[in-house]
Amino acid sequence: MKAPINLPIFSSYEFDSRFYDEIFTENNQVREVYETLFNLFSEYSVNDFSNLNEKAKDAFFNQGITFQVYGDQETKEKIFPFDLFPRIIGNKEWTKIEKGALQRSKALNAFLWDLYHDQKIIKDGIVPIELINSSVNFLKEMKGFNPPGGIYNHVSGTDLIKHSDGDYYVLEDNIRCPSGVSYVVGNRAALKRTLFGVFNHYQSYNVSDYGQNLLEIIESVKPKGVDLPKCVVLTPGVYNSAYYEHSFLAKQMGVELVEGRDLFIENDFVYMKTIRGLERIDVIYRRVDDLFIDPLAFKKDSLLGVPGLFKSYKKGKVCLVNAPGTGVADDKAIYTYMPQIIKYYLNEEPILNNVHTYHCSRPDELKYVLENIDKLVIKPVDESGGYGISIGNKLTKAEIEKVKITIKEDPRKYIAQPIMSLSTHATYIEEENSFEPRHVDLRTFTLLGKDKDFVLKGGLTRVALKRGNLVVNSSQGGGSKDTWILKK
Amino acid sequence: MLARVANNLFWMGRYIERSEHIARYLNVNYFSSLDAPNDLSQSRQFVLRSMLFVADEEELKDLKEFDEQKVLFDIGLNPEKQFSILNSISNAQQNANSARDLISSELYESINTLKRAVISFDKDKFLKNGLFEFTKMITTNVPSLRTKIRGTLLHDEVYAIIMLGIYIERANQVIRIVNSKYNDALVGKVNSDISVETSYEWTTLLKCVESYDMMRRYYRKAPTSTTALDFLILNPYCPRSIMKSLHNIHYYIGYLCKDDIPHKDSAAFFIGKLKYEHQYKTIEDVQGDLKGFIEKLVEDLSLIGEKMDKDYFSRF
Repeated sequence: MKAPINLPIFSSYEFDSRFYDEIFTENNQVREVYETLFNLFSEYSVNDFSNLNEKAKDAFFNQGITFQVYGDQETKEKIFPFDLFPRIIGNKEWTKIEKGALQRSKALNAFLWDLYHDQKIIKDGIVPIELINSSVNFLKEMKGFNPPGGIYNHVSGTDLIKHSDGDYYVLEDNIRCPSGVSYVVGNRAALKRTLFGVFNHYQSYNVSDYGQNLLEIIESVKPKGVDLPKCVVLTPGVYNSAYYEHSFLAKQMGVELVEGRDLFIENDFVYMKTIRGLERIDVIYRRVDDLFIDPLAFKKDSLLGVPGLFKSYKKGKVCLVNAPGTGVADDKAIYTYMPQIIKYYLNEEPILNNVHTYHCSRPDELKYVLENIDKLVIKPVDESGGYGISIGNKLTKAEIEKVKITIKEDPRKYIAQPIMSLSTHATYIEEENSFEPRHVDLRTFTLLGKDKDFVLKGGLTRVALKRGNLVVNSSQGGGSKDTWILKK
Repeated sequence: MLARVANNLFWMGRYIERSEHIARYLNVNYFSSLDAPNDLSQSRQFVLRSMLFVADEEELKDLKEFDEQKVLFDIGLNPEKQFSILNSISNAQQNANSARDLISSELYESINTLKRAVISFDKDKFLKNGLFEFTKMITTNVPSLRTKIRGTLLHDEVYAIIMLGIYIERANQVIRIVNSKYNDALVGKVNSDISVETSYEWTTLLKCVESYDMMRRYYRKAPTSTTALDFLILNPYCPRSIMKSLHNIHYYIGYLCKDDIPHKDSAAFFIGKLKYEHQYKTIEDVQGDLKGFIEKLVEDLSLIGEKMDKDYFSRF
């Protein structure tokens, strides 16, 4: 359906009525929250947008919001594509998302406590023991351990989509090392630089308070006996693709950004090597995966971690954020039990919808999946970043047969979901020099601490830049948008 | 501050300062030579040799004839040459990147923007008619980086480490430039019987370190070897002099070492000793054995770096 807009920049905007379009209604009207923005955009020519797009890219390069791509010949510096058209979420719509994200984070935390203690939810027959026993992310070393403040998933990222029915659905929970929050802030800064005039016409929430809240959260889980905790961010180093985010978070919190080689353990206490000698560390917001944090406890050849760190954590000398072993709960197979998990621990109805999920580990559901691959999305349960995903209606017959063989080899490793209709949003397409509809999702960021929680009033809207593509992950060529949450 | 990050900041300061000196040396020598008062100072080979001497003395070892385009490209934009300005700016940016949580966004963005401008500078244009534009870009932007350092960072240990890098590098570059121009003046004497005392190379030397106008104001005379060397080595008011750099190095090491009497093997002790030794030197002492003085100072500056490394950067 062609957009009813006379702006040249929208001349090739044709949206598919099978999907929910964030900008236009079924009756071809601009949605209320976008009306003002459309009027403002009418003052810009096609060339203006092209220039603004270049300026936005420059802003990202100059600020160093980049990642390195290593080739055989040379290393290239790249930016995650940023889109000029912001996503706007009304206050009422946001309130539901915010409550729902917080509810899920709290439920997941309670679930993790239970899994690593009494496992009542398993004994009560709500979640099958096989899912836990077969999960590579369940850390038996964490059994019986009480993390400071009782918190496991201090930082959670919840991925949501808006389906064709106009309602939000959670696609997955990320509670290991969810990334992307620096782009929420970076996108806002870039849009303010390029399209500053539009901000006067909307009252949206500021997103720059994330760092302060994160610091308060991680300070709240300080080890016993510590008055003023010394916190740090642990990064794998400058070559990690998320290094910008690690340095951003350290700077926002005003704490040191350390690498494993900067830390040292003595008498189970963690110290960092400073120009004045050793300085004790109390809380580590680590952006290094579980298996790499300590070569003595986990992967022996890891150069990213600190020998003895896990022992220090278990002895209560230092707090790790997020706690090791959270990966068992953001497993895509566990995801399907989230409605029951929420009800079991919080005695509440889930606020956000789950997408119906088929477990390939269950014989009857496996049968359905194998017979209907063309209608389903197949996902490995323990991968992130959009890797290993097969979208049934994009596969050839030969590819479907290949997927069937892969699933049958290890059914526990896969789940399947109906192909969800991710909503579309106007997105500036550089090659076409015009706005076109592209599929989007939304990642929200929730923080849990001892007696404190926080949901960032904003989020990362990720956009699949190729026409018709449903995978929005940056590692798969996705971009992102500034996301405005309106105050009224 | 982390020892590793302190090392990064120290080298960020050094590379920032280095790029400016090399760029100005290129600019001043090349453009001064175009209308120099004698044939030798106008000679391409003479000027190119002098440029390579300052950029990296090792490069001169096997070369007798210098190709202008190659020498300019090597010093300006050759990514394969460690001494190129491009690599100095890239190294400064990489060191800043490793410490970006400690420095201001404004400083980081300025370094990053300069690095982008350098690596995207058109190589053909640089060789055809872009030498002035390129070197001017560096000599204009580096002071702006120093302003960002001074104006946006906390004046604490982080700042002191960067300033130590800047002033150690400044002293090192100035003495290397003095050495180069002294050699040029000697070549003029041998080849063309031009007086060392009144050689045109002293004017070029002062311009290479942006001190010509102030030297004229201070002495109210055309530069000679004595006045130029006195001004650039011992004058405590000239911002580019060795004495001023030593004074600043001594001042900033005080941020890191709080001991009233530093240990005799420490960087702080050595820096203090070096400063006071120079404070009571005369130009006659220096000129008595200029070559020996230069070699000793280069060694001592290198020793400061080694001692700082031992005391602060590699203590574990």
